[in-house]
Amino acid sequence: METAILQVFRYDPEKDQAPYYKEYEVPVEGTLLNALLYIKDNLDSTLTFRAFCRSEVCGSCSVKVNGKTKLACKTPMKELVETWKGKPLRIEPLNHMKVIKDLVVDIDKPIEKMKTLIPWLVPDPRVVPTDPMHESIIYPEEMEAYKDQIHCMLCFSCYSACEAVADNDRYRGPFAFSKAYRFQVDRRDIETAKEKRIRYAISGGLWSCVQCQKCIYVCPKGVKPAEDIQNLRGQAVKKGFTDKPGARKLKHFVDWIYATGQINRLYLPEEVYGNKEAREKLTKAYTEMGVEVWEVPKPTKGLMKFRDIYLEILSKEDKALDLDFSHVRKIDRMVSEIFKADICTIVDRTHEEGRSSKGLISKLKGLLGGK
Amino acid sequence: MVKVGFYQGCCFQGQDAHMFETMKEMFKRIDVDVVLLEETTCCGGNTIDEENRKLSYAINARNIALAEREGLDMLVSCNTCYMVIAKAKRALDTDKKLREEINLLLKEEGLEYKGTSRIYHLLDFFRDVVGYEKIRNAVKRPLKGWKVAAYYGCHVLYPKEIAVDNSDNPSSLQEILKALGAEVIDDYEGNDACCGYHSFFTDKSMTLKKLNRILGGVKKVGADIVATPCPLCFKSFDIYQTNMETPPHVPSSFLPEIMAYAFGIDKEKSGLAHHLIKVEKE
Ligand code: SF4
Ligand code: SF4
Ligand code: FES
Repeated sequence: METAILQVFRYDPEKDQAPYYKEYEVPVEGTLLNALLYIKDNLDSTLTFRAFCRSEVCGSCSVKVNGKTKLACKTPMKELVETWKGKPLRIEPLNHMKVIKDLVVDIDKPIEKMKTLIPWLVPDPRVVPTDPMHESIIYPEEMEAYKDQIHCMLCFSCYSACEAVADNDRYRGPFAFSKAYRFQVDRRDIETAKEKRIRYAISGGLWSCVQCQKCIYVCPKGVKPAEDIQNLRGQAVKKGFTDKPGARKLKHFVDWIYATGQINRLYLPEEVYGNKEAREKLTKAYTEMGVEVWEVPKPTKGLMKFRDIYLEILSKEDKALDLDFSHVRKIDRMVSEIFKADICTIVDRTHEEGRSSKGLISKLKGLLGGK
Repeated sequence: MVKVGFYQGCCFQGQDAHMFETMKEMFKRIDVDVVLLEETTCCGGNTIDEENRKLSYAINARNIALAEREGLDMLVSCNTCYMVIAKAKRALDTDKKLREEINLLLKEEGLEYKGTSRIYHLLDFFRDVVGYEKIRNAVKRPLKGWKVAAYYGCHVLYPKEIAVDNSDNPSSLQEILKALGAEVIDDYEGNDACCGYHSFFTDKSMTLKKLNRILGGVKKVGADIVATPCPLCFKSFDIYQTNMETPPHVPSSFLPEIMAYAFGIDKEKSGLAHHLIKVEKE
């Protein structure tokens, strides 16, 4: 029978000075949970871990395998042995939570964090009948918006893997934002609650998510917290919470990409932080390196059609007004001044023409005070 | 000679246009002709998704359609561009209604998303199309005695649908670095942490903590340099490192630069000479 070595984290705070690892030889059969149960039944009954349903429902059996978060009852032993090419498998409790014993962690903290985001329905009396004898109907089309999020089983895999939790203790956690988002798109939930959730989400680190996507990767239920967080950010801006750097960064992207097809990293610090020196410093650094500085990206061929597509999508999604046209016109003026033509003429020139325009470079250098 | 369409994103144009030149020159040595897909636009940087996901899909349907028009597969270097474009492709390939809706708009520009072009990231392109053997054979200046820490970055490994390697225990980057003759270190603290690039404008302290974790880990294992296939991770390491209170002074390299150097292209032309944190190793 094929076997594998599990190095299991052991720690009983009441008895042990410090955690240690104990090795067990287990059959490569079934899931990691089968292997843990094998240890408990045959090798060492003192090993403590959580598991109930054995079928990816209760969310209690999540652990780390060689540092990567896995739901034990969903992870085949064979796959682990293949991935780690026969190396021993180090089994540890989840990150960012206190160890109660061995592989069991205290989940109170993430639960408390989640509660701050109002993860429940606050009924809108205009939609939800107050008389309990009346049905409150949800149509299947409506459920589309939150059909994935409702499967979250609070396994805390995402919380353990989260890059934002790792470096910001206040960060509420991926699942918590998904729980919140689920009600943000529920028609029965009252507007005032939605407003509050956004406010609490912002103070709970909404803009601190680094978008690493690990939460999506580890979720055994197909929830996509990173994408829900993006959606919440969009809602925050839409609801007028625009004073955050993240919101201004989004505005930069929306306007510049429409106007030129590109973002402008030279202007990003200025538009996000009001930091004008950053552009001068960057320009100087580039010029010193002998690199030509482009104050604006060369508008690409096809830009006008691209704009049409862009605007058409935004209009269809009822978001056309999110484009700041006075900003766009300002960008257009900059482009025309630098490329000495109006935007429509510029986009007809080829890429190479734009690039080798030496006159432009010296003009820019003079303009930006480079050497 | 293999021909492939190169998606430049924001990292290979304007003041960073030299990065593309390095890339092109390096690829020539392994018989790959990289053709710039000139009319493409920014992928939205995973930020346009905050405004509207469909807009992100449409922008990238157009980008991919431009590669399809040339009859070329698309090669993407930036991890984030790769993820955003690959996610869009998945959405377009699985959702017929979405594809039709977007194609109706693309039609005005004479474009159509068909789903015929493959999207490659540098790593799977080197592994599956070029082959490690070819890389090994192109080496003129083996990186003997270079201890190189391998750093992947997130968006080539997560989420699983778009991963170019085994997300839990990837090997392609190590194989490429080994082919260059380097001594590869992949087991260090922070090897899987986020580089912090994307939070620089939203939560700067987060970026600096990430850099501390990763570059501290690289330093601790005694690596000479950290190499990454992602130009954004590279920028975070080289540029944002200088924002740290006590920068650990860990040199870094964008993978094509160190490859170019090993292929015999000098430090100046490979780009290695222009880093803020000097690459001293010869
Ligand atoms: S994408 Fe954001 S929420 Fe998800 S794991 Fe990364 S930092 Fe955490
Ligand atoms: S979102 Fe997924 S990974 Fe996170 S707690 Fe819920 S089920 Fe677990
Ligand atoms: S035992 Fe219930 S989810 Fe694994």
